[in-house]
Amino acid sequence: MPSARNSGHIMSGASCKANGAVYPASSAMMNSVKKPKMEQIQADHELFLQAFEKPTQIYRFLRTRNLIAPIFLHRTLTFMSHRNGRSNAKRKAFKVDDMLQTVEKMKGEQDSPSLSSHLQLTFTGFFHKDEKPSQNSENEQNSVSLEVLLVKVCHKKRKDVSCPVKQVPTGKKQVPLNPDSNQTKPGSYPSLLVSSNEFEPSNSHMVKSYSLLFRVSRTGRRDTNGLVNGEANENIDVTDTPSRKKRSLSHREEGETTETYVAQMTVFDKNRRLQLLDGEYEVSMQGMEDSPVSKKRATWETILDGKRLPPFETFSQGPTLQFTLRWTGDASGKSTAPVAKPLATRNSDSSSPMETRTSNHRTALMMKESVSTDIQTRKEQVPCEPRQKLRIFYQFLYNNNTRQQTEARDDLHCPWCTLNCSKLYSLLKHLKLSHSRFIFNYVPHPKGARIDVSINECYDGSYVGNPQDIHSQPGFAFSRNGPVKRTAVTHILVCRPKRTKPSLSEFLESDDGELEQQRTYVSGHNRLYFHSDSCMPLRPQEMEVDSEDERDPEWLREKTATQLDEFTDVNEGEKEVMKLWNLHVMKHGFIADNQMNQAIMLFVENRGAHIIRRNLCRNFLLHLVSMHDFNLVSTATIDRAMARLRQIQEELPDIEEDQQDQTLVSAAACNGNAVTSSGGKQGKRTKSALTD
Amino acid sequence: MEETAAAAPAPSTGVTPPTPRPQPASFVPSRSLLEWRRRVKSEYMRLRQLKRLKKAEEVKTLFMSNRQKIEQQTNLLNSEWSKLRIQSIPLSTSGGALANKKMCTVEFGFPGFKAQAIAMRPLSTVAGIPFMYSWSPLQHNFMVEDETFLHNIPYMGDEVLEQDEAFLEELIDNYDGVHGDREGGFISDEIFKELVEALSQYSDHEEEEEEEEVTVKKDEERVMRRSAAEGSEENKAGAVTFIRRKRRSTAEVRDVSSSKKIPNEQIFTAIASMFPYKGTTEELKEKYKDLLEPPSPVKLPPLCTPNLDGPFAKSVQREQSLHSFHTLFCRRCFKYDCFLHPFHATPNVYKRKSKEIRMETEPCGVDCFLLQKGAKEFVDQNMLRSQRSRRRRRQQRPTSSTCAGPSGSPEEGKEGDSDHETTSSSEGNSRCQTPTKPHPGDEDGEQQACCVVQWSGAEESLFRVLHGTYFNNFCSIARLIGTKNCKEVYEFAVKEVLIHRVPLEDGGISPQKKKRKHRLWAKIQLKKDNSSNQVYNYQPCDHPDHPCDSSCPCVMTQNFCEKFCQCEHECQNRFPGCRCKTQCNTKQCPCYLAVRECDPDLCMTCGAADHWDSKAVSCKNCSIQRGLKKHLLLAPSDVAGWGTFIKEPVQKNEFISEYCGELISQDEADRRGRIYDKYMSSFLFNLNNVDFVVDATRKGNKIRFANHSVNPNCYAKVVMVNGDHRIGIFAKRAILQGEELFFDYRYSQADALKYVGIEREVDMA
Repeated sequence: MPSARNSGHIMSGASCKANGAVYPASSAMMNSVKKPKMEQIQADHELFLQAFEKPTQIYRFLRTRNLIAPIFLHRTLTFMSHRNGRSNAKRKAFKVDDMLQTVEKMKGEQDSPSLSSHLQLTFTGFFHKDEKPSQNSENEQNSVSLEVLLVKVCHKKRKDVSCPVKQVPTGKKQVPLNPDSNQTKPGSYPSLLVSSNEFEPSNSHMVKSYSLLFRVSRTGRRDTNGLVNGEANENIDVTDTPSRKKRSLSHREEGETTETYVAQMTVFDKNRRLQLLDGEYEVSMQGMEDSPVSKKRATWETILDGKRLPPFETFSQGPTLQFTLRWTGDASGKSTAPVAKPLATRNSDSSSPMETRTSNHRTALMMKESVSTDIQTRKEQVPCEPRQKLRIFYQFLYNNNTRQQTEARDDLHCPWCTLNCSKLYSLLKHLKLSHSRFIFNYVPHPKGARIDVSINECYDGSYVGNPQDIHSQPGFAFSRNGPVKRTAVTHILVCRPKRTKPSLSEFLESDDGELEQQRTYVSGHNRLYFHSDSCMPLRPQEMEVDSEDERDPEWLREKTATQLDEFTDVNEGEKEVMKLWNLHVMKHGFIADNQMNQAIMLFVENRGAHIIRRNLCRNFLLHLVSMHDFNLVSTATIDRAMARLRQIQEELPDIEEDQQDQTLVSAAACNGNAVTSSGGKQGKRTKSALTD
Repeated sequence: MEETAAAAPAPSTGVTPPTPRPQPASFVPSRSLLEWRRRVKSEYMRLRQLKRLKKAEEVKTLFMSNRQKIEQQTNLLNSEWSKLRIQSIPLSTSGGALANKKMCTVEFGFPGFKAQAIAMRPLSTVAGIPFMYSWSPLQHNFMVEDETFLHNIPYMGDEVLEQDEAFLEELIDNYDGVHGDREGGFISDEIFKELVEALSQYSDHEEEEEEEEVTVKKDEERVMRRSAAEGSEENKAGAVTFIRRKRRSTAEVRDVSSSKKIPNEQIFTAIASMFPYKGTTEELKEKYKDLLEPPSPVKLPPLCTPNLDGPFAKSVQREQSLHSFHTLFCRRCFKYDCFLHPFHATPNVYKRKSKEIRMETEPCGVDCFLLQKGAKEFVDQNMLRSQRSRRRRRQQRPTSSTCAGPSGSPEEGKEGDSDHETTSSSEGNSRCQTPTKPHPGDEDGEQQACCVVQWSGAEESLFRVLHGTYFNNFCSIARLIGTKNCKEVYEFAVKEVLIHRVPLEDGGISPQKKKRKHRLWAKIQLKKDNSSNQVYNYQPCDHPDHPCDSSCPCVMTQNFCEKFCQCEHECQNRFPGCRCKTQCNTKQCPCYLAVRECDPDLCMTCGAADHWDSKAVSCKNCSIQRGLKKHLLLAPSDVAGWGTFIKEPVQKNEFISEYCGELISQDEADRRGRIYDKYMSSFLFNLNNVDFVVDATRKGNKIRFANHSVNPNCYAKVVMVNGDHRIGIFAKRAILQGEELFFDYRYSQADALKYVGIEREVDMA
């Protein structure tokens, strides 16, 4: 019920909005305006539409989309925090392990209620408080007769007009009327067993859902005060299943001398999910005499005044039926199924919450220790909060600010997306942030607030969110198939900024720079970046590293090598050492003379093995001496570097001995063309010739 | 040229022994010349055709190899991709009840085939990005030479050229020529040689020469071809367009060893008349002889020594061994053949700042040469001499750093020695395949008291090199050579020193340092006043005979002398560095005042010389040299084209990035600027007004995309950084993250920048 009312609110809001925004002629303020000529009104209306129709349509569309596939939840916004019903109280005691436990528990629960177990019902009693037990206690029976029927709603077949319903009587019992729970022994209660094979699929019809129908009949007394009218009415409003109608018709006839109360509970819903877990139940019953309101007259309405009985009143007055429900493995055995955990039920239902709710209504059923009622009552309170007589006038400015029309409302729903903002501040903030195609200005008003609405001419449709969301998976950001991983990185934002106290003054029209303010200016990285080398979009995970800031880009490394290779009068060994050294300097970016000692040692560490393998030790020594000649390194560094080189050499024994030939080959390679052209045997001769 | 053709027959007495009977030139000169010219022409054409084919072939193979490279890379990427876990795209998004349920149908003309249809699935649009010419990333300026040849005629759409026909002509006029123009008349050495070779066949036929010779020669030619490219440079008379520096030393002496067969005189005459710019007949002939010269297999240019680690290492003087290292090393960049400084000073004029040579007085082991008779005296005698020159010798260094005490490492050293001994000998064996000793001839000469020690060329060279540094520290030298012990080294030294006297320079006698701080301030101020934005490039000065006075180039260009100058450390024009203990970001710091970055070798207190590994340096005036740039991002600009955006917020005056690019001359900048103006985009940036311009068009870094604004958030400043002028871009105000960067391209109205074309015109008007 409460939830139904809630949704009713939304619906009415939507219709109001349609009236208010698109057809403002019907608004309250318009009445004060003297009726101008017809065509004038029409022209004016035309202009109004011109200005506001398109954005309104867009926002209506966005509203619908956001309902279907929410991009974000309003309750997570700071200025909508009151929409968040959850408290963080549990967080302090939270442990990560709890999550696993919860899940495991849930799993166990879902698995266990198998169809092999029987349904055992133990009836505590039938309570009806309006009795005057002192008056006619002797001629009253202290028990009522209870009939339990299993209602099977089957799948509709082609020829059927409505779903076929089968009622299987499971038994009749005498149930004590208004028993005193202190007196009666628990073992003496009447109980009833529904066999498990009743829930097995029958041959002829595929059963859609099972429900229990309780029918209590009291004989000998006729009371037409119709105390339960209100409840019955409302409940029947919602439940318009054919089975229900049929049933009520059938019982109308027999109700002359006996009062009949009925209640229905769903055992398995149409998705074959178990709705009734083990536990104690109290079901509110309805009298059968009431004439059900026809489907045609059923309306959604909000119950604003407390005149009607709240649903829980039923339980204090009755009529209610109390029983204990148990799923047992065998007819007499103990319960195998876990005790009812409303949370679990809710979770398993979460995909079709509307349905559960309606089923609740139908039976007007309340579980005793139900948490769900808790939630429902809280929901109830939300719309009640801003129950001051706040009036908000929307004043639409268009056509060069000359014409205006206003509309008065007295709730805090956003006119475009029907979001209940609950507070004026939240409403204004929401309007500003979510509907930036308009400009909203807040003007205080004795009766509440006036909001000037005009078209934001500066709106350029630019996306101010993270551009990577759009780019990395084009067309994905608003997927309808549920949540999609949009970026490859997860940002953990720990930010507790100092927030200014929410104050309505921030929405007041500023005197200067109005246009400036309306520009969507967001600082930060609100654009897509590109790699400077390839012009490819920068992915979010590449944001942190500057991939193009190498001191030694590859082309430069290659360039220095080729440049040295161009020399014809520098021998290969020299070239090789020079190249190694150049790469080393380029990589580390040495800039000072006093870094050189350190640089040499680092060079030996990094390249020592390579120098030895390529047989370049002497050339390296030459390099060191040359550096010394330039007054860049000390002899101590030369000594140390060479000592380290020797040490590295000793650590590479295999090079030394096994790969002797290898070294020779590489040495020959080092010597380059000199060797290749000489062809080996001429080596000696030329050497001596060159010695001269 | 005409006269040379006429005079060609006259010097027929040239050294041409193989051509037996040189034809009398006066005898039907025109007919035979014509005939030869015809032959030259046809042969030339044929050769060129061959060349072209060969070139095409080369291009093809290169293309194929490149393709292969690309394919490899692609495969690599593909395999990487296949490993990546990617969320698949839910297909239902497009397949839903959307309107784009268009069908695409393929119909066949034949009745046998059914028409096929499939639903169209449109791809989502991808936003376009601004145009960008490719460029190479760079974090440091890169000096390039002038391009006097226009390599390509810039394409900028047909409209531009139609509109402005004069532009192209003017452009071409600016250059010495357009690449590829001369190809028709161009004759390279290789073609020349082949041409002569081909033509000589004619003459051979005519004169009935032996076929043999031709074939022999052909063989030679084939060998020669390899070296042809090498030697080509100097011989190219007029049309030297290639790389300037293929050689360290330009002086190349070519000994004309033996004059081989020189073909008929007439050939050269004909060629000379055909290609007049290639030189006279005589020149051509000389050149041919040059080309013919048999390339000795290990012939190397005079200053090139064989690899010291190679098998052909030979014994040379110290200067020769170190020549390559000395000449190629850039003392300013610490690199060999650096990208920025075309001229490198050689170190022989550098003076030792600290005389750190110390003599070992302790013997390094039981076999140390110092224990030998007479050794100590020899060392001392030499030391006396060196000590005289080294009055300000440094303190004794801790012994641990260099030479281990007598107890320290003799075993280790010995072990190493023996190790190397064996390896080198085995190396020798495997090398020469014969058990003969490398230096059998030297044995008698080197006969010393103890035993016969063979010194390989490499070892000898190495000794000389080290002796120049370590003097008589034979223990150290032996350790460094590795293959000889100190006794052997000593013995070799005794013999050697008689021949080569080690030149010892006179150490500078340092006068007392004067207090000259106040003078420095005055000088900086003076420079600032005088210069009026005149910034000149710095070149290290080198005038050994006189101190830095008004004739010193540094003084003349109003630059300070830097640590790279050859002048005294106490030179009055030297910048002494700062002694700040703060951040050096106010004018209290002399470096900052003089628009210099702190020199890590001069400013020892401000932190510019510390914390090499971390980015947190207390001195804020050394950001350019350390490359402490901010992370910049590239995105389409809010203004025009691409823009540079900053990732993290910066404060006012913080260094953002260096504006890097090619360092080009003003002339080159003028030439390039003309093209850039046409393109309406220029990355030119004046560095110092007379010398160089930074052009970020071809090479640069991300800051090159920063746009111009008259109300910018950055400013540019040319700073002297360790002798180089560099452009720093700094924050003009506090900048938030994600802001686009702008600086005023005309940061100094007068001269500093060549900005984009549009604005320049406005400015002129």
